[in-house]
Order: sequence, then structure tokens, then C-alpha cells
Amino acid sequence: MNGGSDRTGARLPAPISDYGLLGDTRTAALVAADGGIDWLCVPRFDGEPLFGRLVGGPDAGMFRVGPARPAPVVERRYRPHTATVETTWAVGDGRLTLTEAMVAEVRGRLLPTTLIVRRLSAEDATVEAVVEFDPRLGVRHRRPRVHRRRRALVCQWGSLAVSLGSTADLTVEPGRPAPLTVSPGRPVTLVLAVAHREPLVHVEPEAAWDLLVEDEERWRVWAAGIDEELPFRDHVVRSLLTMRLLTYSPSRAPVAAPTTSLPEDPGGMRNWDYRYVWPRDASIGVSAFLSVGKPDEARGFLAWLLHASRLQRPRLPALLTLYGRYVPRERELPGWPGYLGSVPVRVGNGAADQHQLDGYGWVIDAAWAFAQAGHLLHSETWRAVRGFADVVAGCWGEPDAGIWEVREPAQHVHSKLMGWLALDRALRIADTHPLPGRQRRRWREARDALATEVRTLGFDATMGSYVRSYGSAHLDAALLVLPLLEMDPDDSPRVRGTVDAVRDRLSAGGPLLYRYPPGVDGFPGGEGAFLPCSFWLVQALARTGRRAEAVELFRSMLDHASPLGLYAEEMDPATGAHLGNYPQTLTHAALVQAALAIRDAPTG
Amino acid sequence: MDWAGWALFGLVATTALTAALITAQLAGLTRVDFPLLLGTLVTEDPDRARIVGFFMHLCAGQGFALGYAATFALLDRATWWIGALLGALHVAIALTVLLPLLPGVHPRMASQRAGPASTAVLEPPGLFALNYGIPTPAVVGVVHVVYGVVLGVLLRAG
Repeated sequence: MNGGSDRTGARLPAPISDYGLLGDTRTAALVAADGGIDWLCVPRFDGEPLFGRLVGGPDAGMFRVGPARPAPVVERRYRPHTATVETTWAVGDGRLTLTEAMVAEVRGRLLPTTLIVRRLSAEDATVEAVVEFDPRLGVRHRRPRVHRRRRALVCQWGSLAVSLGSTADLTVEPGRPAPLTVSPGRPVTLVLAVAHREPLVHVEPEAAWDLLVEDEERWRVWAAGIDEELPFRDHVVRSLLTMRLLTYSPSRAPVAAPTTSLPEDPGGMRNWDYRYVWPRDASIGVSAFLSVGKPDEARGFLAWLLHASRLQRPRLPALLTLYGRYVPRERELPGWPGYLGSVPVRVGNGAADQHQLDGYGWVIDAAWAFAQAGHLLHSETWRAVRGFADVVAGCWGEPDAGIWEVREPAQHVHSKLMGWLALDRALRIADTHPLPGRQRRRWREARDALATEVRTLGFDATMGSYVRSYGSAHLDAALLVLPLLEMDPDDSPRVRGTVDAVRDRLSAGGPLLYRYPPGVDGFPGGEGAFLPCSFWLVQALARTGRRAEAVELFRSMLDHASPLGLYAEEMDPATGAHLGNYPQTLTHAALVQAALAIRDAPTG
Repeated sequence: MDWAGWALFGLVATTALTAALITAQLAGLTRVDFPLLLGTLVTEDPDRARIVGFFMHLCAGQGFALGYAATFALLDRATWWIGALLGALHVAIALTVLLPLLPGVHPRMASQRAGPASTAVLEPPGLFALNYGIPTPAVVGVVHVVYGVVLGVLLRAG
């Protein structure tokens, strides 16, 4: 299935869940089931779009390889435990298969930094296919200067150059469909190479195919290192692999999603740029990767957190760029039509300056998880953690924007709980790391005062549940982290009451939950169910002795994955359509943590 | 050539450079950290790396001071402004040549081409070391000019 065409015959973007992720751990492309790459930023996740049709309209460029006329997809999958997408169409009497991936491992060899390999092969009959190549760079959809070099088409925009090579005798011109015939036993391979501020490296298509095969083997070996005993292992591996593909290898920064402005409310204004890094995601990643037997990834996330936060320490920024710089000011792209007319399309993110108390809790908890797993915190790491804990001890009483980044600060209960977590875990780390007595007393006093206040002001005795903010009658699905904190016993009425109340009152039907009651966040329009919350509910159920319910809910959530096993941030409860930026690191990290909670929950 | 001056004043100038850089780090202007970058050539532990790197940095500072002293000797004069000019030349080479080339030889530094097999933990500096913060070129420029000025003034007095 794809998005069809508009009145002018221009191809429309597909449903969000129709897209597959191709990635090389430096940038990523989204490819629809019709073989169209509708999103690719170069040279990094947060670079300029080279193919931007996903949110930029027909003038924003795309690269489609597939059947010449619309054809049904008969199979679409990731090759097991790899980053290679395989799509097969039924075309007349034959079948056409597109196998594609980006080459991740290029270091130490004369290869372009970004290399996409796409191979068309036919079975049963000769098949008519087409190549549509229309690269447009940046906000203004700039057309390239074009020339040919040997058999490759070269497109240039100043310091950026792209070459498209093929094993077939193809005459591709940007913006014009190039027909080709694919015969059984004679596959056609296309290679897209990108050079940014460096000379183009031309790679022969057959050699590029070998690189793809080598990369596949590397991913299989990587996946084989993941704990064999994990429940729902294949799904967890896909999530971990997605998280790894969304981690920028040069700095080890996990990007929240590779896209900007995929709408949370189709046709509405809830369109944000997620091509940045939230310390929260990195922190969840630390414990997720540690728990599945991937300490290098965990160490990488922690190293990034410490290095990136250094400029603003002891304050922890809400989000950062891939290299830990300040996130650009949020701005709207004029003339970009958005996905399904969802405007504005934004770049930059206005949440960067917010005070979010919960971030400190996530980060210090990650350091605690690392220390608990037997890894020594270097003294620099411990200094940073102490600085963060000092900030929490000093400012926990102030209102903040909270995990949901509302633009009017409030006394969010979830933030307070995470502040408590920050101080508690810092004190636990201090049991094995040096800490002056005065500082220890200060943290302990702040932690205890925080617990007293949040139990008094953040709990509604009538509902038997913690609430969204002090004095509020609303609930917050982020409170599902409560059982992980160990502030109240897992079997206490406060914990069980909160889990049940959130499940009941924020239900969006089936396994889906709203993050808070729709329509109370001050933004116009509505939004879908928030997918990480469902996995947090699985985790909460598993932690509170309700493993069977957790397993049932988890299975139900797996049914809501995209055909390739990916998740966006949100979902329309009525239609099951994925909403928001895609695929989303936080959702996949929550899936992994839910599976881990099921693994660790007592059976019976 | 003032050998005694070189030995002493090189140390003083490197110390001044390091102090200015640490001040800029503490002010949140940059994440560049020469002792850490150098020390992690030999050890992964950042705390040890800083100590080892500090001495490597001192040695490097002495080496560069030798070049400055030789230039002053060739010109037969040492002034603060010639020192500043040499510092500017020095930092231009460092930012455009030495730092961008570092990922090619540093065993614990990723490059812009790093992939999933990379276990390096230091991020690459990038052009003009901008990956370590936008003000980094300015900070590194100022501390190297300070280094040159100190050498110019001290070697002139010596």
C-alpha cells in the first residue's frame, strides 16, 4: 500500500507505518512500500534534506525504485537481524524484489560516508520497473548541477555531491522516470553515494552489493550478542537494532527520531523536529543496552551524556544536538505543505530552554544502573552526577515543564518523583563513591522532604492515585514509572492504585493509553495515544506481580507495530494509524524495558 | 638563542595557555580539553588521561616554544606582537590541520565516518573544532595568542 497520487499525478507520501528505516548510524532514510525514499537528510540526521517529499511536497525530492505501474506488495520484511529491507511486488506473471540498505561500516576503507545500495531482482518473468531520481537539497528544494562521470550521474550543490551508479545501462535524469527491464537471474543494482566537503568516491555497484552483504553479517553478529533468554526476542532485537541505527556513531548520541514534523494530529499544528537528542532517551538506552548484554552501547550513551552536557553543567539541558551543542531556535519552513497538510513544518525545537526536573532522575538512574552492573564510575562521571544531584537538591520545589514539555511550567508530580529518584540513586552511588558528609546530608534531607511533599500534595486520596500536578484532578501516564522508583513498596495501595487509575482513566481503547487527558495541554487540536505509555504499563504490571496481564498487554502492543516492526510516538486509537515522528527511539526503548520487566518478573 | 629562557618561559607560557583554557571550560564556552585529548592516546581512564595528558601538553608546549624562540632568534627581536602573530599562525594550523587530522591517528576518537563497530568514545573535533562548541575556535585562538604574547614578552625581557 502507498499513499497514491494527487490530482496532478504527483505521488503522495504513504501512511507513516508504511515506511521502513534504512540507516547507517550517521543518517537515515525512510522508504515507502512502493520503493520511494521520501526522507533522507545528509550528511547527518540533522542535516539538510536531500529527499524531503515526506513533509516537503512533490518539490522536495525523492528516489523511487520499483515496479513501473502500481503493484501489490506480497511480502515486506527486514532480513532477520539485519538493517536490510526487502520488498516484493507481484507484477504480472512475475515478482519483483527490491533489497536495500545503507552501508554502516565505512571506516578504514576508501568509501563514501553515506552509501545506499538498492538491488532489483525478478522471479518467474521479466518485469518492467522504473527509477525516479529527483534529489533536491535543503529548505528551498534546490536543484543540482548535473553531469555524467563514466556511468554515474553526478549531482552537485556546492560542497555536497551525490552520484548514482547502476549495473544497468540506464539514462537517469533528475525528475524524469527512467524505465528499465529486470529479467530473472539478472538483477540490477543501484548505488547512491554522498560526499560532503570531500571528493566523491565512486563505488562499483557489484562491490557495493558485497559491502551490503558484509554489513548484514556484522548486524547478525551484533544481534547474536543479545541475551538469548529474552522474551519476545525477535521484537526486542528489532527495537535494539532500530535504537542502534538511530544512534549517531561519531558521538554516540541517540537521536529521538530521524524525522521532523510528522504530525501528532494530522492536519494540525502539533508537528515538531525530533532530530535531536534528549538525555532521557540516552539514559533509558543505558539501562536497556546494559540489561541485554551490550555494555559498549551503554557506555557510549553515558559518555555522550557526560561530554554533551559539559557546556551547561551542572544544569542538564532538555535536549541537545548530536554534538552536544545548543539546539537551533525553532522556526517554521515557509511553503512546506507538511505531511497530509499538517503545517507548519518546523526545524529546531523550542523545548531546548525548558527546565525539566525529570531529566536529572533519568540520567542519575542510568549512572546508578551502570555502577550497579559492576562498572566503575570515573571520578569525572561521579563529579557530574554530584553536580546534577546538587541542582535537584536546590531546585526540586520549583515548577517545571515536565516530561511532556508543556510550555506553561507547573508542579508536575512525575517530575517530583524523578527528582526523588535522582537524589535516591545519587545517595546509593555514594555508598561506594566518595562524598562529603555535608553533601550527603543535604541530599538526604532534600529527598525526604520531596517524598513528604509529593505524598501530601501529589496524591489524591479520593482517586487513590498520584495525579498529574499538585491539586490537579488529572492523571498522567508517566506516573507508571512509580514501581521502578522503589519510593513506595510495589504492593502498596498508592502504587497499585496509581497503576490501575492510569490504566482505567487514560485508556484509549485496547492496550493504548493517552499520556494525559486529551485537550488539556494548551495546544490546539487533539493527539493520539502515546505508545511508550503502553509499554510503561506493561513494565508496571510486571513489576507489581501481574506478569500474565503484562504479557497479554505486550502481545497486544506487538500487534500494533508497523509491518516492519517499527513504532512511531503515537497512534490514532480509532484507525490504528501511527502518528508523530517515526520511528521513535523512546517507544522502542520502552518496548525493550517492558520485555526486560517481563523477563525479570516472577512467573506463576 | 636563549636556551635558558626557552626552557623556563616555555613552561610559563604553556601554563598560561592551560589556565586560560580551563577558565573558558569552566565558563561553559568550550569542551575542548587538550590534556584529555592527548592523554587518551595512552589510557582510556579520563582521570589518568588528564594527568598524563597534562605532562604531554607541557612537553608539546616546550616543543612549540622552541619554534617560537628560534623564530625570535632568526628575526633578532622578540616582541609581544610578533608572539601574538606566531600564536595566530600556530592556532590556524592547529584548527585547520592538526585537530581535523586527529581522528585518523587517535585510537579512542571516532571520526565523522564512524560506524557501529566503532568503540571510540571521544567525539571528533570537526572543522575548526566546532563540534566542541561554537565558541571553540575563538577560545582556542585567544589562548594561543596569549601563549605567543607571553613568550614574546618574556623572551624579550630575557
